[in-house]
Amino acid sequence: MAFLDNSGDIILDAVLTDTGRLRLAKGDGSFNITKFALGDDEINYELYDKNHPSGSAYYDVEILQSPVLEAFTNNTSVLKSKLLSVSRTNLLYLPEIRNNATDGIAQNSSNNIVSVAVDQSTVDALKDSSGNLLAGIIDSAELDRNTTDKKRLLFDQGIVSNALGATGKVALDADLVETQYIVEIDNRLGFLADPTTGAQATPSFIDDDNIASYYLSLTTNSTYFSIAPLQSSAVLSGPAGYRLSLLVGGSTNLNSSTYLFTQLGSTSQITPIASAVDLYHIDTTIRVTGATTGFRVDIPIRFLKQQ
Amino acid sequence: MATTFKTLTANDVTNTRTLLHEAIPLTGTIASGTYSDENIKTFSHGMFESVFDYPYLSSSANHIFDITHGYSNTSNLSGTTAHIQNSKKINVYNQMAAVLVGHDATGSIQLFDKDGDIAGGGAKMEEVFFLNFSRLLTKDEIKKDSFRLTLATGSQAGNLKAMPITLGDYGAASSYLVNSPAGEYGLLYTASADTLSPVGQIYYQAGVAVVSASVFMGTTSMKHVAETGSLPYSDLGPGEASASYQNLATGSNIQLLADSIRDRIVDINFNNTVELNSTIYFCRANNNEFNYSANPTYLSSSQIRVKNTTSDNPVSYITTVGLYSSDNELLAVAKLSEPLKKDPNTELTIRVRLDY
Repeated sequence: MAFLDNSGDIILDAVLTDTGRLRLAKGDGSFNITKFALGDDEINYELYDKNHPSGSAYYDVEILQSPVLEAFTNNTSVLKSKLLSVSRTNLLYLPEIRNNATDGIAQNSSNNIVSVAVDQSTVDALKDSSGNLLAGIIDSAELDRNTTDKKRLLFDQGIVSNALGATGKVALDADLVETQYIVEIDNRLGFLADPTTGAQATPSFIDDDNIASYYLSLTTNSTYFSIAPLQSSAVLSGPAGYRLSLLVGGSTNLNSSTYLFTQLGSTSQITPIASAVDLYHIDTTIRVTGATTGFRVDIPIRFLKQQ
Repeated sequence: MATTFKTLTANDVTNTRTLLHEAIPLTGTIASGTYSDENIKTFSHGMFESVFDYPYLSSSANHIFDITHGYSNTSNLSGTTAHIQNSKKINVYNQMAAVLVGHDATGSIQLFDKDGDIAGGGAKMEEVFFLNFSRLLTKDEIKKDSFRLTLATGSQAGNLKAMPITLGDYGAASSYLVNSPAGEYGLLYTASADTLSPVGQIYYQAGVAVVSASVFMGTTSMKHVAETGSLPYSDLGPGEASASYQNLATGSNIQLLADSIRDRIVDINFNNTVELNSTIYFCRANNNEFNYSANPTYLSSSQIRVKNTTSDNPVSYITTVGLYSSDNELLAVAKLSEPLKKDPNTELTIRVRLDY
């Protein structure tokens, strides 16, 4: 996409997204715009110079000169960072969403990425000398075997700094506590599952690019959330909200066929004990976005299948 | 409660209808000359020929209009089947008349009426050329009182391009006709002051110009006269000094007739019309809204970068407006050409227009 001409008056370049066109074509009334959000994808706030020698008028000179790209029509490629409405103006800290790889599943040491073994033969091939699946790999053959936090993806919400007080000692402001998440994953490759039972979740929507969106709410999907706001977290130091736990399973396509692996993936090896195991793999990303605060985190995931 | 979405109320959404016009100038050299007829597509059925804006075998060529010719089965020219393509010329006339003029109470196809007063009877145009413009040019319709077709009426044996006459729908903005099943149409005259008699019709929504063959009646007068008795048309055909319209219409095929009028096109000008239906969304950001950001660079160890103390105003910069469905799917997106500063001292209304 080209940059927009910013030499004159401010203009607005508007397009329907591919999902918008899809819904319009359906003609079933699903094309119904009811709300809006504002975004600042192109802005790098690190350019805000609070110590500019020429004064406050120059703090954001570089930001205001940022060129803006034309609108993408891919609905998942824009509005990655949204502006946030909080009626108070005296906030100095905002809570973030962090992947907790210390208390939850960490990267597999062999390939430096959280992985998902998509079938039983892959699970069996990737066991260590004690007969346990290697660390950093989710058992997708039977998801209910992932019984501990160390086998789940964990996302903690809260303030990283302890400037407002320590985690568990000071509560996060109620209006900043995230109680709804949107989790997006490529529906051809995988699905989301309940961290306690391993039951496959139902996506709220699958868009034209096969990106499945799962809406998880504290009130209706409580098994995905910690019982109460966190009292401690390895990735937070300040006031905290809830912890979101997730399991990711491999799709039936990945489980039963190598087609997508040969189309989209590559091959690699992992050596669990003595001899290397030849694997197909596909790398993808899971996006976790706070529906209330808009903060998000992208987690790279690798699906593995024994050759 | 923190939020990233704002619901649009009934007061934030409105619908408008706008008519856009663009000028379409077609120089005659496109129809004959510039591309040595490589932009003219003919067909084995011989019912019409197509004019492109570039050699038509090129993928960048656009179809701009078709030319054909026909006469009614009541025309003096249709007396014998020995005339070349006699039935095809009648078929063309009948097809176009059925679409543009319609049928009478008995189900018979009505003829093109010279002054458009079909119910009142009167003179008919029984020998006509049709210029069918592509939708690419006419869009939704041709703008009334904008159509001008300049034809050379010089002698084939002498200066072909001499004696141009300009046919136009002069005054049609306020005097167009609505008794056609194909929509509105205007009458073509040879000059704005000419009220003698129309020499054709322009169908605005259908994008079809119907030109009476009487414009080629001769060199002494370019105006239409009643076609009774023998047809006095002369000097139309290419390369045939004696090829009067009458001889061509009976002794030549439609393609040669189309070539003949194509060679005489000096200019065609009109304005097209696009009917733009728009929905306008007024995205209002009040002073206490959208002042913070979820941008990954907005925080440093959870502290807001644009603030030193709690008393500093938060600041954010808008580059994008997203329009969402109730289930949070992004249906439309708009980008500002430059970042717009938002803080508690400002309120903004961003007007996003979606055209359909």
